[in-house]
Amino acid sequence: MAARAAGPAGRLAVPALPRTSAESGAAQRRRRWRASQGRSGFGMTAPFLALFAVFFAGPLIYSIVLSFRSPLTGNFTGLLNYRTVFSNGAYWSGVERMAYFGVIQVTVMIGLAIGLALLLDSPYCRGRKVFALVYFLPYAVPGVIAAIMWGFLLEPDLDVALKVPHLVGIASGPLQPLSYRWALYAIMLIVTWEWTGYNMTILITSLTNVPAQVLEAAKVDGASEVQVAAKIKLPMVRRTVIFTIVLSIIGTLQLFNEPVILNDIASIGSNLTPNQIIYNTAFSFGNEELAAAQSVILALITVIATVAFFAVVRRRMEPLQATRAVAK
Amino acid sequence: MARGVKTSATTAFLALAAAYVLVPIYWLVISSSKNAVQLFNTNTFLPPAKLSWGANFHGLFTYENGDFAWWLLNSFIYSTVTATLGTAVSTLTGYGLAKYSFRGRRVVFGLVVGSLMVPATALVVPLFLLEHYMGLTNTYQGVILPLLVYPFGVYFMSIFSADAVPDTLVDSARMDGASELRTLWQIGRPILMPGMVTLFLLSFIGTWNNYFLPLVLLGTETRFPLTVGLSAWASTLNVAGAGQPLYSEVILGSLISVLPMLVLFPFLQKYVARGLTFGAVAGE
Repeated sequence: MAARAAGPAGRLAVPALPRTSAESGAAQRRRRWRASQGRSGFGMTAPFLALFAVFFAGPLIYSIVLSFRSPLTGNFTGLLNYRTVFSNGAYWSGVERMAYFGVIQVTVMIGLAIGLALLLDSPYCRGRKVFALVYFLPYAVPGVIAAIMWGFLLEPDLDVALKVPHLVGIASGPLQPLSYRWALYAIMLIVTWEWTGYNMTILITSLTNVPAQVLEAAKVDGASEVQVAAKIKLPMVRRTVIFTIVLSIIGTLQLFNEPVILNDIASIGSNLTPNQIIYNTAFSFGNEELAAAQSVILALITVIATVAFFAVVRRRMEPLQATRAVAK
Repeated sequence: MARGVKTSATTAFLALAAAYVLVPIYWLVISSSKNAVQLFNTNTFLPPAKLSWGANFHGLFTYENGDFAWWLLNSFIYSTVTATLGTAVSTLTGYGLAKYSFRGRRVVFGLVVGSLMVPATALVVPLFLLEHYMGLTNTYQGVILPLLVYPFGVYFMSIFSADAVPDTLVDSARMDGASELRTLWQIGRPILMPGMVTLFLLSFIGTWNNYFLPLVLLGTETRFPLTVGLSAWASTLNVAGAGQPLYSEVILGSLISVLPMLVLFPFLQKYVARGLTFGAVAGE
């Protein structure tokens, strides 16, 4: 997914401003160094701030300004572009399609990632290191290349495996995963291939941080491995699970590379996702103002989806925490 | 259930998942040895009787005046320069935020954290317009400069510096009269190196894999990275009148663009994983 390539995990980590040497240093020295510190500290951040102003804050502000301008005259038109987006059926079916996509794909992928991480962390696993490496490999494969590989493998003329169900008589013809009807599920298969190991890698690090004493205590009490996994390990890494789900929701809403490549290979449609629509609006139709409004709305939808997910999770988790408090 | 049965069942499931990951990569290696006819006529998962690697290789590097060699070189340039400069900028900023107090420090930190929430793709269209205005589209620096703004990298290095570089060490270097940049270079750099390696790799892989940004910013074939170039060739597979379908070129080209990283990945895995898990585990 496009967004994740640009910024890996950590997007939503709770920020804690690090302590400075000045805060912990001796008071006298602090005064002496303060003036030069101010200059040095700011000087060190200056290159970043300059780049940030031109290539991040600039485009962001420009995008918002642009979204209020008329595509025809360039004059200020208030909310006209936003009204056009709101009445644009293709845009909203794109958003709706991503919601459907996310509910299925993120559930399957995170479920698989949790399952694999718990199995790798269990005493029944042989070859933990090798499996962990293999699952993580797709992270090193560009989404474009993943889509090209799968695009060929899902083409019945090129993949004998797709003819097997027909040959054994359980399908009326070769499977056509890239047909208009199934293309969305083909993308799910590809995205799951790309990101399951990434999420599993995050989860397994979290699992290794579960204190050994807690696990020992559970075993002394006669808990089975399944019980330990479900009742102790999983609740202890639930923040990490939530973190991976949020990253996946954001990534789903930004989906672009895979549908574009599959459309190149098999004509599955060029307006499947909001980002494809934004790209076409700006570069096929040259309507940058409308595209800017579409981008702003997509960014807002992303923030709303994230906040809504947190709200739901928090409400579900509160009774759980209350029971724990009572138990203590 | 006996322990042995559980171990076998676990291994079987893990192997199945591993097959899901490895089958496409295996297929890519096998298929890169076939020409366009063999692709359709031979078994999908077995090598052909007569390997066509030589001809495919020749075709790949000579088609359209050897554009592919440019893409390989460009991907390398974009990724290396972005990762090197991006790591330098992020480290300098992160270290500055962690080890100095100055006016506006909180504001800068707030900007960094706030921009972690902005989906990068939301900036692509206005970035194109601004770069077009500045004459930066279709240039190397036009692709590299926006990617140097790496808020996660700054955040990562500020926490890393605060944790790893002891204040007493920095203070004693100052007492000895070292300048601030010299202190960072001589005292901070060796300690920060593991974090910088992680950041370099994340940035390198992120740039190598990037598609949307260079797709929008570049129009000349000889400036394309591999992702944009191969997607252009992939579209000949389907669009009528786009010329001969470039099956073997696209497949061998795809293999070449993932092979270096796949071969190096076992050695890099732990550094990359540390970067990914950083945000998640910090909140645990």
